[in-house]
Amino acid sequence: MTGNAYDIDIWGLLVALTMVAIAAGISELMRINIGKTLLWSACRALLQLCAMGFIIGYVIRANNVLLVFAVIAVMLVAAVQITLSRAKGVPKGLAGPVLLSLTITMLLMISLVTELVVRPHPWYAPQLVVPLTGMLLGNTVSALAVGLSRFYESMNERRDEIDTLLALGSTAWEAARPSIVSSIRLGLLPTTATLASCGIVTIPGMMAGQVIAGGDPLEAAKYQFVVFAAIAALTLVADSLIMAMVYRTCFTADDQYKPPEMR
Amino acid sequence: MSSTEHIFTASKVTCIVPAQGERRTIFENLDFAIASGEIVDLVGPSGSGKSSLLTAFARLNPHATGSFTLAGHDSDEFTPQQWRHEVAYLPQKPILPGETVAEAIRLPFTLVIRAGADSIGGQNAGNAATVAIDASTAAAPASASDAAAGRFANAQHRIGKVGLGRKLMALFRNNDQQAHKLLTDHKIRMTLDAMGCEDIDLDRPPHDLSGGQAARVSLARTLLTEPKVLLADEVDAGLDDENAEKVADIMATAAAGGMAIIRIRHRPPDGRASRIATLTNGTLSEQAGEQA
Repeated sequence: MTGNAYDIDIWGLLVALTMVAIAAGISELMRINIGKTLLWSACRALLQLCAMGFIIGYVIRANNVLLVFAVIAVMLVAAVQITLSRAKGVPKGLAGPVLLSLTITMLLMISLVTELVVRPHPWYAPQLVVPLTGMLLGNTVSALAVGLSRFYESMNERRDEIDTLLALGSTAWEAARPSIVSSIRLGLLPTTATLASCGIVTIPGMMAGQVIAGGDPLEAAKYQFVVFAAIAALTLVADSLIMAMVYRTCFTADDQYKPPEMR
Repeated sequence: MSSTEHIFTASKVTCIVPAQGERRTIFENLDFAIASGEIVDLVGPSGSGKSSLLTAFARLNPHATGSFTLAGHDSDEFTPQQWRHEVAYLPQKPILPGETVAEAIRLPFTLVIRAGADSIGGQNAGNAATVAIDASTAAAPASASDAAAGRFANAQHRIGKVGLGRKLMALFRNNDQQAHKLLTDHKIRMTLDAMGCEDIDLDRPPHDLSGGQAARVSLARTLLTEPKVLLADEVDAGLDDENAEKVADIMATAAAGGMAIIRIRHRPPDGRASRIATLTNGTLSEQAGEQA
């Protein structure tokens, strides 16, 4: 693409990779043993990003609504897989709820941000919809992974408290509520931290990209804010949805506590 | 005895737990019944399943099955919450969530199951009888069934009436205000004093309490919810003799008010139980207690 004010050539990529290689080499010398992972992840990232660049380029040129949603569907499935592999100590069979909660938030994102705020022509404008979905998923995937891990961890820790609450006549929801609240809070922590620090400490990636590509910084800031606000709100929605869908996995039909080995 | 004289009956109670891929039967087809105002001690070697039996009675045990009745009504007629409201299991380990002792005691009244209930205890708050169930059900076992049915119908009516909006709002709201209305600080103080718990400061954090104090606060919390049947799981374990005696006294007072109480105990008989049930190798045998 030629929209960039300053293009990066093949040597630029090599310099970047060399930097990672040197860092990896130093870490091996210091016996931190993270060098291999670092190098491997960097190569993977380069391949994935270039592939994504090609695909988005193709989708933008094709300008076909079905193609746009096919790409989004693939991203969603990958997001479910990554969420479940990152979440520790969760029972099997959560793929459905995770997919549902990601899909609902993604649809909300597209209908609110794209169709209500930006209003592109055509309505499915690939250069807008695909990157927005990617940014949303990036945030919700980590929020869901952290939230789910924390929820099940907390439900295991609070076992005695939950039994006491149930014995006092609480519903499953009332017994699970402290765990749900703490896991949503933890899942949302990075999002609120980003919101608070952006513009003072950091220039967020999207705004930085637009500025480097020669866009108007104020326009870039407005875009960035809309996207951040939507992501923050929708991450909360995604986290609440997933909790509402999965908290019952810790209880039997008779509102009894189900220990981890029974889930 | 006919079932109407028993406030609580259990029949065909079976508990099978999965253990290393196998299924281990803890006990099978046990029957049990208790009348209002009765205290029954449940003893037996550790691991014989005494706690499993009590949690089964409260419908808290996912590994147990059986049929239970309360005042002649089958447990199927109750939601799990309504059932546990009347048949209260008191765990051995006192868990007291909250910033203060008062908050910990008020916890049950923040729950939906008690929303909209009348302020408890009646006018004679200082009387130790307030910790027991209300006098009408205690006096005549025959009317206990009607009272339970009435409370049950009332609860169903209440749940049906709550709108969707209020339900959504209630999801995350803390019902502290409701709890304060149902159970004032004054009433908690009076009740604790009546139970011989003058030494417990309501404004202290619960984790500052001694083991004996925590056990008594946990017991007071459950008694204040006025269950018809109390399932006390080794509440006096790890207490010194003085505290164990205090706990036994509190329960005896509650039983005198009409509450049926099953106690798991490891201590020698204290003369308060009318019967002693022994659970060994999956069978339950009974003998009369030496009541003082």
